[in-house]
Amino acid sequence: MRSPARLVTGTATAAVTVIALGLTVAPSAYAGDDFGRLEITPATAPPGSTVTVNTTACGPKGSGIGDANSLDAGDFEVRKGTHKEVLVGQFTVPHDTRPGVYEIVVSCDDGKDAVGDLKVIGGGKHEKPDHDRPSGHVRTGVGGSVEPNSTQVALGVGVIGMAAVGGLWLLRRRTESTEGS
Amino acid sequence: MSQSAQKARGWLVGIAVLCGIWLIQNGSGDQLIPPQPSSAQAFAAGPQLQPGSPVAEPLRPSDPVRIRIPSIEVDAPMMRLGLGPDGSLAVPPDENRNLAGWYADGVPPGARGTAIVAGHVDNAEGPSVFYALGALTKGTRVEVVREDGRTAVFSIDAIEVYDNKDFPDQRVYGDSPHASLRLITCGGGFSKETGYQGNVVAYAHLTDVR
Repeated sequence: MRSPARLVTGTATAAVTVIALGLTVAPSAYAGDDFGRLEITPATAPPGSTVTVNTTACGPKGSGIGDANSLDAGDFEVRKGTHKEVLVGQFTVPHDTRPGVYEIVVSCDDGKDAVGDLKVIGGGKHEKPDHDRPSGHVRTGVGGSVEPNSTQVALGVGVIGMAAVGGLWLLRRRTESTEGS
Repeated sequence: MSQSAQKARGWLVGIAVLCGIWLIQNGSGDQLIPPQPSSAQAFAAGPQLQPGSPVAEPLRPSDPVRIRIPSIEVDAPMMRLGLGPDGSLAVPPDENRNLAGWYADGVPPGARGTAIVAGHVDNAEGPSVFYALGALTKGTRVEVVREDGRTAVFSIDAIEVYDNKDFPDQRVYGDSPHASLRLITCGGGFSKETGYQGNVVAYAHLTDVR
């Protein structure tokens, strides 16, 4: 899970980024800065959604690697997009991410970083897609506690058996006595 | 032997046969089904927290290791559960009569959301871990010991029974803004052909953390 410390860092960086963004209204203004702008779409997302980032900070020929470890989404690949100067990457916000602001970084090979913030909102119903939840009833019993009373059944069988034996004996006695008279 | 004595013995045999038949029929038909909740334990009007019971702040997720429900003498280890091919919750192996499971792709008990815990009501040999789940009442304490060493304490909000054919997925598995817990086992009626005809579901929410 995200540690509060990381959240704080994230928020602090958010402030830095906001300042950076303020400075980067003109694209050339951040040419010499350490931080480039990382565009995040959507900038506000619930857990479970896929987020796309892109940046021109690594330069027309640069490459880099994405870092979404602030929300436990690990590193992600960034590739050249349709516009060659733009690097594009994607990651998924983990289902258990709590609402907050998280710092996403793309580290360029030339040492420059592009940084942006992703705001994760409470998912509510969308926190988990429905298919990830179980559906239907559970199969947690076979009826072994719903025992038929087997001693009673055995007793009944015994009684009937004895009655049958008794009955046969009685019939024989009757036949014998009939023959005898 | 006199005629009347023979007749009396004949009657005796007849009565014995009838008794035997009754014993067999009664013995095999008499089902002792597990305790089922009364309608008084159901939600009065839709799922809601038991009025007046405290609501604790959700904990950070940590796997559960043990569940305890002192009032029905449950004290069982917990295993991780996934989903079956039909999307239904998998269940713990039924040989072990003292084992519960939790849906590990969902929320662990104590964290924000709806944690789902299932256990068998019985196996072929007899009662299992959640046999007496239907005997719970509102306000009963349920404890889940977690890997982080903390114990999440829940209080039962309601216990309901649903027919298998009409299982309310959203009500049972749907998300919650609190740290909620569902305990599920088999219940409802029982028939030899189809087994248990429903599920008993206990709804609870986090009231305390130790």
